[in-house]
Amino acid sequence: MNSTDMKDSAVKHLVLKDWRLNRMQIFLSMAAGVLALGVIQRGGETAFVVGGVWFFMSLILVGHMLPLVGILNERKKQNLAFLMSLPVSFLQYTTAKLLSTLGMFLIPWLTLVSAGLWLIESRGILPRGAIPMALILAFMPFVGFSLITGAVLVSESEGWGIAVNVACSSSYALVWYFLGKIPGLMSNAMAPSPVWNSAARNVLECEFGLVVAILGLTFYLQSKKKDFV
Amino acid sequence: MNGAFAISQSDKRAMYLQIMEQVKQRIAVGDWTEGQTIPSIRQLAVDLEVSVITVKRAYLELEREGIIVTQQGKGSRVASTPGLGARLREQELVQHLDSALRIAAQLGIRPDELEERLREAGDRLAEKETI
Amino acid sequence: MTDLAIELSGVGKEYRFFSLDKIHLQVPEGQIMGLIGPNGAGKSTTIRILMGLVHQDCGEVRVLGHSMPAGQVAAKWDIGFASEDMRLYDGLTLGWHMNFMRSIYPKWDAAYAQVLLKRFGLRQEQKIKGLSHGQRVKAMLLLVFARKPKLLVLDEPTTGLDPVARHEILRELTNVMADEGRSVLFSSHNTQDVEQISDQITFIDRGRIIDSMDKELYLDRWRRLRLEVPFGVQLPALPGIIGIRQDGRMAIVTANAFAPDLANAYERSGARVQRIENMTLEEIFVANVEHSREEVEV
Repeated sequence: MNSTDMKDSAVKHLVLKDWRLNRMQIFLSMAAGVLALGVIQRGGETAFVVGGVWFFMSLILVGHMLPLVGILNERKKQNLAFLMSLPVSFLQYTTAKLLSTLGMFLIPWLTLVSAGLWLIESRGILPRGAIPMALILAFMPFVGFSLITGAVLVSESEGWGIAVNVACSSSYALVWYFLGKIPGLMSNAMAPSPVWNSAARNVLECEFGLVVAILGLTFYLQSKKKDFV
Repeated sequence: MNGAFAISQSDKRAMYLQIMEQVKQRIAVGDWTEGQTIPSIRQLAVDLEVSVITVKRAYLELEREGIIVTQQGKGSRVASTPGLGARLREQELVQHLDSALRIAAQLGIRPDELEERLREAGDRLAEKETI
Repeated sequence: MTDLAIELSGVGKEYRFFSLDKIHLQVPEGQIMGLIGPNGAGKSTTIRILMGLVHQDCGEVRVLGHSMPAGQVAAKWDIGFASEDMRLYDGLTLGWHMNFMRSIYPKWDAAYAQVLLKRFGLRQEQKIKGLSHGQRVKAMLLLVFARKPKLLVLDEPTTGLDPVARHEILRELTNVMADEGRSVLFSSHNTQDVEQISDQITFIDRGRIIDSMDKELYLDRWRRLRLEVPFGVQLPALPGIIGIRQDGRMAIVTANAFAPDLANAYERSGARVQRIENMTLEEIFVANVEHSREEVEV
């Protein structure tokens, strides 16, 4: 076995280890999201609002808890010192952490978001015109997830993690409010087919850009560090 | 295993001296005979849970005294000197006599007085044994 | 020339309230090095630097031939590292951790791991959170030993252990040394452990290395002399003496470069040497730290 093989396998095992430690949480949040979609499907305004909020909450839950528990806890409980005794560099640890956390987030996120879109598309729980807004809404916890992941990895502090968590949780409603003010977004939500106007595209690109930028910056800042543990 | 060896933490002497003494004792009592292979330095270090360097020091000193022979790659054995066990017992006696003389000198006891005391000690021991 | 398992030259690191002062340290292959120092002396910092976990501000670090911190990944394949501040995953079993290590390290020795389980009185099904402090330390060391690494780096492996557990760990460490190609660096403030099992000793205090050498030679250089000093006799100033305490006619002299000549010189000056005593590593440790601090202050 040559050294590159061994290097890759150590990163792979760190990722598998994270999956082992967090899989229960992922299944639970996925189950919660699916249940919420079930509630929405029963029809009626109350069911729609309750199910919708519940659905959004389960996306937030998995997006926020994964980095807080998976990264902060590992540091707080001094498991990180153990991990760093393994044949990995700090950058490889960061890579493994970003890969595993992102992967573990994407599994429930992609599943739930596609299920939600499918319900709109084929079951008509909302007019098709709501698809752009639904996507924009779904991307918000993704941005929150990247922010918290970056914050806990870079700051290495529980305080910052919690602060960013609270800030994200409380700004979703605010962001939603301002999005409503952008002309050409909400007005098309009741249209019979999705309207991909520049407003919708810009917001989505903005969200996606933020995710990439935050994760990239995190990786860059981690590579500048000199002392670990 | 060399179960009969033990390093004492409360013994004030250096550990290598304790090891030397115990090797000598094994030869003196006839457990290890002339020419017999003895444990390697690393093996004895493992058995005694002491560092290799301590055992090495003991073996070097023992070799210098002509008690053991160490050959590179072949390990160590007791020197093939006839009557080595008896000589070591003799040596032990001489050491005890020397230290008795030293202590006596500190107490201001002359050698002839010491002789008398030795005879008395012998009588005491004989008495004890008859009881 | 023997190969060096660890070589630090001119390694320094500045912190706000502590600095490591351009230290030099060499651990020859096949030997056990005991790193001794008071709390906060710089033992853990030194160990973190040589593991590549903390980057030195200056100086060269080579471990098993790899330059650190750049070569840390390659080096860590062959280093078994355990420190006091490491914890295993609470919610998982020891068996899971053993599988985890086995999946990473091709050299994992499953049979030896089973032997260690028995010797340490541990069970695979136990969750880490249910283990006592001693069991946790033994579990961590089991994971490290069963990999059969070329170099073991252990930061305070025996701290807080009961005598039986301590003994079990020291025995395992000496067992490791039956193989000539393997080396150990361990830090401790338990001087008895270091005195018993190490080949080399390094004293560290306040970020400086005070002494680093062969243990037997080192112990041999230190002696305590009990002198009777008759009235009117002045003790001469001799080299290799680091402390003299005199009370009435009795004087206790501590020497760190003892030779028979020294006793003779005192005899010639008119004093009588009553006893020459060996010193335990603990006594040497205390005397040495105090002496070096005095020197720094002067």
